[in-house]
Amino acid sequence: MIGITAHAVYIPRHRIGREMIASAFGRRALPGERTAVNFDEDSLTLATHAVQWGLRHVSSCHGLYFASTTAPYWEKLNAGLIAAACDLDEEVTVADFGGSVRSGTIALGCALDRVAASDLTNIIVAAADVRDAPPESVEEQIFGDAGAAIVIGHDPVIARYLGRATVYDDFLDIVRRDRDERVTSFASKFTFRRGYEEAVTKALSRLLEKVGLRPEEINKLILPPIDQGSHVKLSARVGFRPEQVQRTFFEHIGVTGSSMSLLLLSAALEEAHPNDKLLLVGYGDGADALLFEVTDHIDQFQVDHPIEEQLSWAIRFKSYELFRKAREFFRHHEDNLEISNILYEREERQNIRLYGTQCEECGTRQFPMTRVCIACRSTESLRDVRLGRRGRVFTFTTDTLTPSPIPPTVMAVVDLDDGGRLYLQMTDIEPESIRIGMPVELTLRRLKEGGGLHHYYWKCRPEER
Amino acid sequence: MVESLKDKVAIVGVGCTKFGDLYDHSLQDLMVEAAEMAYEDAGIEPDLIEAAWLGTFSPGFGGGKASITLADALRLYGKPITRVENFCATGTDAFRNACLAIVAGLYEIVLVIGAEKLKDRPVRGLRREGVHPYLDAGSTAPGVFALAANRYFHEFDIDRHVLAKVAVKNHHNGALNPKAHFQREVTEEQVLNAPIIAYPFGLYDCCPTTDGAAAAILCRADRARSFRDDPVLVKGIGLAVMTGKPYFDPTFDYIGFRSTKLAAQQAYEMAGIKNPRQEIDLAEVHDCFTWTEITNYEDLGFCKKGEGRYFIEEGRSALGGDLPVNPSGGLKSFGHPVGASGVRMIYEIVTQLRGQAGPRQVPNPELGLVHNLGGPGSVACVVILGR
Repeated sequence: MIGITAHAVYIPRHRIGREMIASAFGRRALPGERTAVNFDEDSLTLATHAVQWGLRHVSSCHGLYFASTTAPYWEKLNAGLIAAACDLDEEVTVADFGGSVRSGTIALGCALDRVAASDLTNIIVAAADVRDAPPESVEEQIFGDAGAAIVIGHDPVIARYLGRATVYDDFLDIVRRDRDERVTSFASKFTFRRGYEEAVTKALSRLLEKVGLRPEEINKLILPPIDQGSHVKLSARVGFRPEQVQRTFFEHIGVTGSSMSLLLLSAALEEAHPNDKLLLVGYGDGADALLFEVTDHIDQFQVDHPIEEQLSWAIRFKSYELFRKAREFFRHHEDNLEISNILYEREERQNIRLYGTQCEECGTRQFPMTRVCIACRSTESLRDVRLGRRGRVFTFTTDTLTPSPIPPTVMAVVDLDDGGRLYLQMTDIEPESIRIGMPVELTLRRLKEGGGLHHYYWKCRPEER
Repeated sequence: MVESLKDKVAIVGVGCTKFGDLYDHSLQDLMVEAAEMAYEDAGIEPDLIEAAWLGTFSPGFGGGKASITLADALRLYGKPITRVENFCATGTDAFRNACLAIVAGLYEIVLVIGAEKLKDRPVRGLRREGVHPYLDAGSTAPGVFALAANRYFHEFDIDRHVLAKVAVKNHHNGALNPKAHFQREVTEEQVLNAPIIAYPFGLYDCCPTTDGAAAAILCRADRARSFRDDPVLVKGIGLAVMTGKPYFDPTFDYIGFRSTKLAAQQAYEMAGIKNPRQEIDLAEVHDCFTWTEITNYEDLGFCKKGEGRYFIEEGRSALGGDLPVNPSGGLKSFGHPVGASGVRMIYEIVTQLRGQAGPRQVPNPELGLVHNLGGPGSVACVVILGR
């Protein structure tokens, strides 16, 4: 039996009310708010956090697939960087998927096939997007940013895989050329009918026919929205009652591109009961439909940070301009960085995998990695140690002298729960709320741009415990 | 300790430029001015100088990191010259190395210059050099001291109002000093209402970036009276180096600086000082930020840990107090040209011991202390001078 062994969603902490976006242009606002990245987040960091949380539930991992239309590197494996940040072994299969917001369910299908064809267990499929739409467009209000991760493996699974169907469709709906920073949308009644409705209907009916089920036998239809309400109209047309349709969080999150289907699958799993049949749809240049049946193991599975909880951790941008600045700052800002690929490689274990040194003589765990113990000066009994990802603030400052797109920069000295002391920037925090002793978790962020590279490093952010 | 410096080295000449935003001066101009003043003060010709030490942190053009920065500025060729750099304790460490050479018996008369030109740079604040692009990203000079101040605030009953009193005192002293960068008084209210730079430090809690240079001419103590009747003697020196990245050190309590304590211990032992609070008459300490002066009182043994607030609140460190601290105005008001500051502190103590400090003169001092601190509490140098 193969299926889902774990799942996690990462919702960035920042929000902007759609009214604030609309009023910047004197436009009509859609209801609610959308999620938005901080200036140091991108699709890779959103996915990394989701993977970090997802991997807490499994003891091994043989693959990492990353799906996104907004991956930060076009040449260089994004999934490889995520795998390194999560300290996965070098024989893990990593791959990037992209090209369509359907890449999330495409990657999920590939992971299911690979697990089915081997004794490998636990391939984590991470999807994230930070899509940008032209200012003033309705998509700017519709879109949201988020990451999600679904782990596929062998028994024991929390949801068994029962089959899938797919159609591709060479169709113009929302596109982005290689030269564009923002999408071009052709969304209209035409794209709803000929694109969304037609592709989804085909994939769904083929799958239901294949597995011999009728719509009323499905407990949850997980249909990725393309806007506020089209998915409701579509679900009715394909024979589902409103209570069978997974809610989409449109008024809190928005339409999140490649991660949308995986995020909603995770949401459905949060509330699922044994024997529930979950019908997952992916849409974009065609459609995927995948069927899962929830098992008894669901009762033992508890996500660390349910979506509702993450929705309550909101920091709201104070202006439309700050929302835009956070999305664009690193596109136009380059630092002169004195770092070579040689230094990057030598320190990758320390800076990306976040290893420190453990002294077996006096027990002191320390960072950065060292040849001589900082406490007892021992050189004999030192070993590399992977540092934990959670800790507490020992001391801090809020610094306005450090250049930052959204000052002040919060700097924190963090004592990790299982030893070691780090000095990190703190992100996703309202500076006045910081205090000594506050619990934090580590988060990989985009630190700087320069020398033709995105520079990722660890920061910390408040953790609700 | 095999050998002591005590009473073996004398200071026979000192010089110091005006400190400030000296836009029309180059680093070389500053070095020449300070050196000429010191030559004149000692009454010697440059030819008598046998060796020289230059303390500078960021010398820029015209010699860079090499000793030729001094050689070319003064046209002092053919002699042993060494450039010293040890963060903000650069000036005192240059002085210390000059003392070592005299005690070793290699030279009789040497020159020490501390000089810095910070205002030629296009950036705000002091650029931290040699920092890791990832590990130290976001770190600034006020930021790394603010980490300590906030932990100290957490441990002890103190707030920004107490820090403000240090700024008020040092601005008061600086207003009496014609060479100080800032020569005006500030009120507690002004200090508290200034924009925050790195919490808890506002603008007036931070020393400025400054241009300036200071020089001293040292000789063997037994030759000092051939130059002048009132030489100042070196009684003790200590230098202690701790980690440059205390924020990664899990053993650090962050409520004071171990480097200062250890450097002071060395200097007190050499000078035979048992009770610094009683024996020292005045001190020039490294008040890069207002809180640093408070922890300095404690780390130098002027009071117990956690009681620094009373030392300022009760006026003990004020001019007229029982241990005046930073009568010059300190880094806060006199200014802080990194490599120059240590030598400038020596200039001030020598001036005070000679009784030439004018309206800021401390009455009849016998023993003065210089404390210079580099990096985030990483390098401390303490010098005891006396008559």
